[in-house]
Amino acid sequence: MGAFFSNLPQYLVNGIGSSCVYILMAMGFSLVYSSTGIINFAQGEFAAISALVAYTLSMDLGLPLLLAVAGALALTGFVGLLLERAVIRPLQGKGTLTAIIATIGASIFLKAGARIIWPEEAYKVPEFTQGQLNLPKASFNAQLLWMLGLTAFTVAAMYLLMNGTKLGKGLRACAINPEAARLVGIDVSLMSMAAFAIAALLGGLAGLVSAPFANYGMGLYLGIKGFTAAVIGGLGDVYGAVLGGITVGLLEEVVAGFLSVVLGVSSGYKDAVAVILLISVLLFRPQGLVGKGLVEKV
Amino acid sequence: MLILRNISAFYGNIEALRAVDLHVQEGCITTVLGSNGAGKTTMLRAISGLIPTRYGEILYYGRNIAGEPPHRIVRMGISHVPEGRQVFYQLSVRENLELGAYVRSWRKKAEIEKDLDFVYRLFPILGERERQLAGTLSGGEQQMLAIGRALMSRPRLLLLDEPSMGLAPMVIRDIFACLKRLHQEGLTILLVEQDVQIALSISDYAYVLRTGKVVLEGPAEELLKGERIKKIYLGEEF
Repeated sequence: MGAFFSNLPQYLVNGIGSSCVYILMAMGFSLVYSSTGIINFAQGEFAAISALVAYTLSMDLGLPLLLAVAGALALTGFVGLLLERAVIRPLQGKGTLTAIIATIGASIFLKAGARIIWPEEAYKVPEFTQGQLNLPKASFNAQLLWMLGLTAFTVAAMYLLMNGTKLGKGLRACAINPEAARLVGIDVSLMSMAAFAIAALLGGLAGLVSAPFANYGMGLYLGIKGFTAAVIGGLGDVYGAVLGGITVGLLEEVVAGFLSVVLGVSSGYKDAVAVILLISVLLFRPQGLVGKGLVEKV
Repeated sequence: MLILRNISAFYGNIEALRAVDLHVQEGCITTVLGSNGAGKTTMLRAISGLIPTRYGEILYYGRNIAGEPPHRIVRMGISHVPEGRQVFYQLSVRENLELGAYVRSWRKKAEIEKDLDFVYRLFPILGERERQLAGTLSGGEQQMLAIGRALMSRPRLLLLDEPSMGLAPMVIRDIFACLKRLHQEGLTILLVEQDVQIALSISDYAYVLRTGKVVLEGPAEELLKGERIKKIYLGEEF
């Protein structure tokens, strides 16, 4: 037990890194859900595609890292657009559930496609900055600073987008009442396209900062954990995603430490944390920890 | 200003509008009366582009707008106050009104601000509750907000779907007084109502719709005096 507590700072530092990734993923889930009512099960694939494309651009084609990252994000955003136009749009009027199932199909399709292009089990995605930094009780890769900085920047940008721009107000209006949104002149179809494209960028960023290694299947775990974070946060605004991401990220690493140091079992079981959290929240507080019931007076 | 020519529209598999012809004269209040399920709401939804029409033309200043999406219709100057108000519950009164101005350039802030003032003068209670969430307003206040929101796009033609529904008589009188005022300031209104008396009292011309067909039309005063409308409502005819 003593070893567990002395290692706790390290677990928390590790947890901050995962939290950033889950926050980004959760914002993607929440944005699409709140503006279209669809849970996009292909959200994890955005992360995988972007990380793998970044690998190819920088390692195979030798592009500078910045260009590779920009290229990977641009392509992932385009995949998001395409997903909305080719899969979601044709199903308009067929019900939300149909669209959700279609995203599961899209996820399988993208995963299989990625496997053809990137068949290996692991590709080394370049880190933005090499090296390790040491604190008194913990150490971390310099990459963590990038993760923190980029996540903080993205959270702030999303907040401004949703609250300070016309696009954001349109997206929020669609989330609250799609029909009323149409009646005030918002192009709901355009909003849905924008939501998917932005969610793809968020997922893409998560994939880029998430791991030193990427493969075609990484989207599954990132998807589950990001989705859990989003559900904890109530699948709504930016705050919820941040809260959910931190909850899942920190808890997961602390549990991993507990499992390996105290119980002596594989820390790989930590992946169950997100699933258990997801089931508990759905059972006991389906509106999320911060979700409020609908204020409505008839 | 607006002419419906031979319009048919379906609600699921049911033909909710059957070859309807209707004229809205610029500067007038035109009312469509009819009981539940007569096709009144379907007609407004067809005009504002929320549902497709199967046959016929919707001519707005001579141009056929049938099949245009709602966001274009709003930009053309037709604003729809929907059945059941449909305000954005989780947003404040002010945010609701600002969304009403969504189609206008946000660079014209001063103009939009002026129109906000106009709405607050029309419905002072909305000004008092500016910061309150729309979901916490009473039914009458929500109706005022829905009308105010529709006005914020600066429409030339206002479509109103049963503004009296579920409201106390006094509130209904207030709202209709405001509609009359808007009309006097030059707004053209197409009103759909079940409350015959109050609707006809402010209208210039009226149609009666029954199971998707126009069964009676004429100047509002004549309909108000005539016996036929009562008979239609009581089901003694047809």
